[in-house]
Amino acid sequence: MIGRAIANGIIAVALACVLPQIAGAQQRPEPPRGVRIGLSYGAGVKPGIIVMPVEAVPGDSVRTIIQRDLDFGDRVTVIALDSAALRGLTPSAGRRFNYALFARLGAAAIVRIAPVAGGYRAEVHDVTGKALLQSGVFMVESARLSADWRMEIHGMADEVERWVTGTRGMSRSRVLFVRGSDVWIVDSDGASQRQLTRGALTLSPAWHPNGRTIAYSRYGEAGTRIELHDLETGARRVVRATPEGLNITPAFSPDGQSLAWATAREGGTEIVFASLANLALARRVTVGRGSDNTSPSFSPDGRRIAFMSGRAGQPEVYISDADGTNVQLLTEFTYGGTSYRASPAWSPDGRLIAYQATAGGFQIMILSLRDRAVKQLTSEGVNEDPSWAPDGRHLVFTSSRSGVRQLWVIDTESGRLRQLTHAAGARLSDWSPHLAPSLSSETNAANSPD
Amino acid sequence: MQPTRPTEHSRRNVRFLALPLILAGCIASKSDVTVLQQDIMLVRAEAAQSDSARRQEIQRVMRSMQSLTDSVSAVATRLTRMRTDMQGRFSAIEDDTRRLQEIAGQSQARMQELRAAVESRTSAPPSSASPSAGAPAVVPGPNQLYQLGRDQLLRGSTAAARTAFEDLLARYPESDVAAEAQFYIGETHAAEGNVQEADQAYARVASAYPRSPRAATATYKRAVAAEGARRTREARQLYNEVISKFPRSDEAALARDRLRDLQ
Repeated sequence: MIGRAIANGIIAVALACVLPQIAGAQQRPEPPRGVRIGLSYGAGVKPGIIVMPVEAVPGDSVRTIIQRDLDFGDRVTVIALDSAALRGLTPSAGRRFNYALFARLGAAAIVRIAPVAGGYRAEVHDVTGKALLQSGVFMVESARLSADWRMEIHGMADEVERWVTGTRGMSRSRVLFVRGSDVWIVDSDGASQRQLTRGALTLSPAWHPNGRTIAYSRYGEAGTRIELHDLETGARRVVRATPEGLNITPAFSPDGQSLAWATAREGGTEIVFASLANLALARRVTVGRGSDNTSPSFSPDGRRIAFMSGRAGQPEVYISDADGTNVQLLTEFTYGGTSYRASPAWSPDGRLIAYQATAGGFQIMILSLRDRAVKQLTSEGVNEDPSWAPDGRHLVFTSSRSGVRQLWVIDTESGRLRQLTHAAGARLSDWSPHLAPSLSSETNAANSPD
Repeated sequence: MQPTRPTEHSRRNVRFLALPLILAGCIASKSDVTVLQQDIMLVRAEAAQSDSARRQEIQRVMRSMQSLTDSVSAVATRLTRMRTDMQGRFSAIEDDTRRLQEIAGQSQARMQELRAAVESRTSAPPSSASPSAGAPAVVPGPNQLYQLGRDQLLRGSTAAARTAFEDLLARYPESDVAAEAQFYIGETHAAEGNVQEADQAYARVASAYPRSPRAATATYKRAVAAEGARRTREARQLYNEVISKFPRSDEAALARDRLRDLQ
């Protein structure tokens, strides 16, 4: 009885602290009655989510990772309540949540995670519908609190986000980048940062769609050549079709069958393709006539590429079919202008192309392919080399806004920013696709580079 | 022995007569030598004068030659400069042309969108509409249909896009965007993986609109598809067709590369 009284007291204190903050949320209009599926959202309002405490070791870490991933996803508002207060609101087995109370706390959904044999069971409860919305069991095989364990928890968070919003999250992913002359890798939330290459100058890292292989441009006696690097085994191989000289900005096709990159030829730089099955033969797909053509980026269906070309004088972003035909100038061309646009990145949903443009120093822009409308995302410092997150909503880019070049992540919808790396000199980032569930040995490869 | 006396006498006389003659001869030779010397000096003077004149002439000729060489050199330099200048200007003109083409291309795209927008506002009812049919049905214009098809293709709705393009060709076969529509019908088939239908649609671009720039693209795509299907002879023939019919196109440059790889 005393324990119950203490719990009720804690709940009362928690409510007293929280209720004034969520007064706005309580004033939302009631959703129209009738048949509906999923959660109800007010226009322009992100649904509130409460993640219940996880009663297992390391439950606090699991809850923290899930909350942070949902927060970084920018599609929901995580209502951060004290674990002790929430424990009193957790129903016992066979009982239901007090949905009315959670509604008063501003929650549209409740996430409950409980340990099961070999993993965790996740549940999402619809507060308005007063029912369980979705649940699933996630096997977690990696050593507790290791980098791979964190990835598996990220995977659970991504599914929870999909249950709530209909769109899978992007936290089970990693970002490649260059620091100094080496390639590094970092988790999407900024954790588990580590070095992948050592020794020679390496540039332009790019992910294979399988999330296991990467390509980069590596400087050696024969100039810069493209190398493939298996993250699981650590094995590396040089792409034979790269001749001596300059070979930069590799990009894999979405089906993972081809590799495109820019190679110096006849006074200019052209984009070439090679099949991964025959890396000895590279075929040109741009006709630059002495100009520089670099930075290929595939459309999600692999049938088109965006690239940077100086064929009109100053560098601009073009798109063409993957066979090199049907070339169109994408960015706004100004005759006699000196500004230019570069580093295109095609969004995973195929609707947008992000790039950098000179607008008081380089700034990040996104262009809608449907109506060619341009939106400037940054204005502070120098901002370069955008790369899309697998959710098609966030971008990672290099920015000097903190005084030194760092990787930052921006939500293209709201403009919300967060800093991804904190050591100086990060640049040339590339965001991975959703990583496959089994990447247990990747860490080993990552920890023993070269 | 008596008769010898007159001989001696005569010899003495001869000596007597010869002496003045010899003396006279000696005197004449000296003056002659003087004259001769004078003559020689005169000749020498004349020769020297002549040499001097010739030297002057030679020098004059040499100066003329030098002047001529300088002039030729100056002209050559000027020509070289002019040639370089012309090359620079040609290069600048080429760059300008390329930029203008980019602007023209971009303007054309904008014009296309504007036309579609105008058509969507001023769509007229069909002439065949029955007066008793109630509210007249709105007939979209060619640019409107074209824009609709492109939008649908961008969204991945290939069947809807193809319907729009086919509708355009059925209603407006002489439209400015007819070749584009035919080309994009091929694109919709290609996006669906229907290689044969795509090939037929591309072939129709080259046959029905041979002067359209899309003809080069469509023929090149047919060649790439044939090469991918290991129909090498057909691929070669189509690549050669692109090169012969559209030698200055980007597709011709790509076709030359492909032919080189095929050999």
